[in-house]
Amino acid sequence: MEKVLIKDRQSFKYSLVKRVKASKFLILMIIPAIVYYVLFCYVPMYGVFLSFADYSISKGVLGSIFENWVGFDNFIFIFNYPKFTEAFLNTLLIGSLKVVVSFLGAVLVALLINEIRMRFFKKAVQIIVTFPHFLSWVVVASLFLMLLDKTGIINKVIVAAGGQDLTLFSDGKQFIGLLLSTDVWKEAGWGSIIYIATMAGISSDLYEAADIDGATRLQKIWHITLPGIRPTAILLLIMSVGGVLSAGFDQIFNMTSQLHNSLVIDSVEIIDTLIYSNTIASKSLDEGITTAIGLFKSVVGFVLVIVTDRIAKLCGERGII
Amino acid sequence: MKSKLKRLPLLSRDKLGPSSKFGGFDVVLFIILLIYALLIIFPFYYLFIVSITPHNIYAETPFLLWTPEISFDSYKAVFTESKIWNGLGITLILLFGGTAYQLFFTVITGYALSRKGWFGQNFVMNMIIVTMFFGGGLIPYYLLIESLNMKDTIWVMIIPGAIDTFNMLLIRNYFASLPKELEESARIDGANDVQIFVKIFLPLSLPMLATIGLFFAVGNWNSWYNGMLFNHSNNLKTLQQVLQDIIVNQSSAIPNPNQAKITPESLKVAAIFFTIIPMMCFYPFLQRFFIKGIVVGAIKG
Repeated sequence: MEKVLIKDRQSFKYSLVKRVKASKFLILMIIPAIVYYVLFCYVPMYGVFLSFADYSISKGVLGSIFENWVGFDNFIFIFNYPKFTEAFLNTLLIGSLKVVVSFLGAVLVALLINEIRMRFFKKAVQIIVTFPHFLSWVVVASLFLMLLDKTGIINKVIVAAGGQDLTLFSDGKQFIGLLLSTDVWKEAGWGSIIYIATMAGISSDLYEAADIDGATRLQKIWHITLPGIRPTAILLLIMSVGGVLSAGFDQIFNMTSQLHNSLVIDSVEIIDTLIYSNTIASKSLDEGITTAIGLFKSVVGFVLVIVTDRIAKLCGERGII
Repeated sequence: MKSKLKRLPLLSRDKLGPSSKFGGFDVVLFIILLIYALLIIFPFYYLFIVSITPHNIYAETPFLLWTPEISFDSYKAVFTESKIWNGLGITLILLFGGTAYQLFFTVITGYALSRKGWFGQNFVMNMIIVTMFFGGGLIPYYLLIESLNMKDTIWVMIIPGAIDTFNMLLIRNYFASLPKELEESARIDGANDVQIFVKIFLPLSLPMLATIGLFFAVGNWNSWYNGMLFNHSNNLKTLQQVLQDIIVNQSSAIPNPNQAKITPESLKVAAIFFTIIPMMCFYPFLQRFFIKGIVVGAIKG
């Protein structure tokens, strides 16, 4: 294709009009995409100027930006707003724990599935453990809330064995643990697929050579398999750092929707739930302020990706940018 | 198609060397994986048992792992609830209409971007990549949807999903990996870009199209987020939103026709199974398509 076009350029007396003409069908095919991305991605991007203004419904977004400009007032407000600081710290904590836990979970599952040798069992396990990824958090949250509820079987068994009632839904720290473990339950199997594929691509010569040297299976895992998936792992880690500040709105929203314990709800209040509940569910914060919170989140997320990428490169890894 | 999928490097090679025998290590692995698989299955199993146990047995049995008496009354109550069928109707519209719409726009965009060197290609590509790193955030998006008058319409759950950047890049990379000679020879025969796309590239990428279509279909089946943000009237709620209602305030969301026989828990579970049984039936047969998608995407992307 490249070559054909270069030939075209020479024979056609290369000009803009002719270049457009030569690719008119492709340009027609891309027009919907341009409209789509401008409308649904770039128009909201200009909306971030709202974070320097007070929103009023009657003036609309543009009118509010031009007429109610307040400079950095919204940012000054959010940095002095204790609920925001708390939500930001919660987000960092939950988000980074999730990145670490789900990474370790996926690698561990991949190692187990890669090492097991019974073909049929391997396939069956893979089908079972990847399935929960395709359920919505509406379903998964309710499964676990019922399973671990006071009337659920787990609590009954613990109490019958002489233990205390579970306090998962009334203790903030335990609830964060529950968020992490349900996340692993849902996603570890699916996350392992990429690592299994990478492991399958490791040259079998390495394993044969290790066999000749008399290496045990654990040694082979440590010295061959794990280094073999390192580039993939670093790449995926850098990408997941961008999502640290998202920390899982779907999960937290659905898992707290039935709780009435405000202590627990406060301890898992993240940036996204703060924005949702203060401007969309109720109108307690001005749109300008929650837009500022959103902008802060995007900027910090972007910086985190860049910084992680730099660190990875300094350590001699490939990086993504 | 089948042979292509089988060539995936997933379960194929045994790299344990000729000398290794089935030993203690394998037994430990087997046990760990068995426990893991049971941990995944157990919540479904337990709650299914809860859903088919009559109220009196549920109240008497301390650890319900099996029920001597099966009753499908909770399922009957769910099946006769019009809200559920209404939600199913909305979700089916999304499942067929939404999936076809997303597939169409995502695939034509992916094809156009997979062809190199046309006027504006780099510009459009960069414009799309930027959106993967930056976004306006929820509030500007919310205000945009409001100003487009899409609130409280079914369109809000379909139109904003036209192109999924990840899936678009997936199919773009797949098109780009097909041999260039295909296009060149068709061009010599006088075919234009649209003809080349429809007659040559589409038929060759059916497995990939199936993969992407399935990702969209699952997303639409599970759709609730846009509905929760923008649609609050009962007749526009998706199946997942109806399920949310039932779970959060079950007593008012679904009438319990027979308090003596049906526990509130079993009603909830019956509603949950209503939404996941179709997936459970299809998933084992479709799993390889999903895996193919993520593996191809990871290696090329």
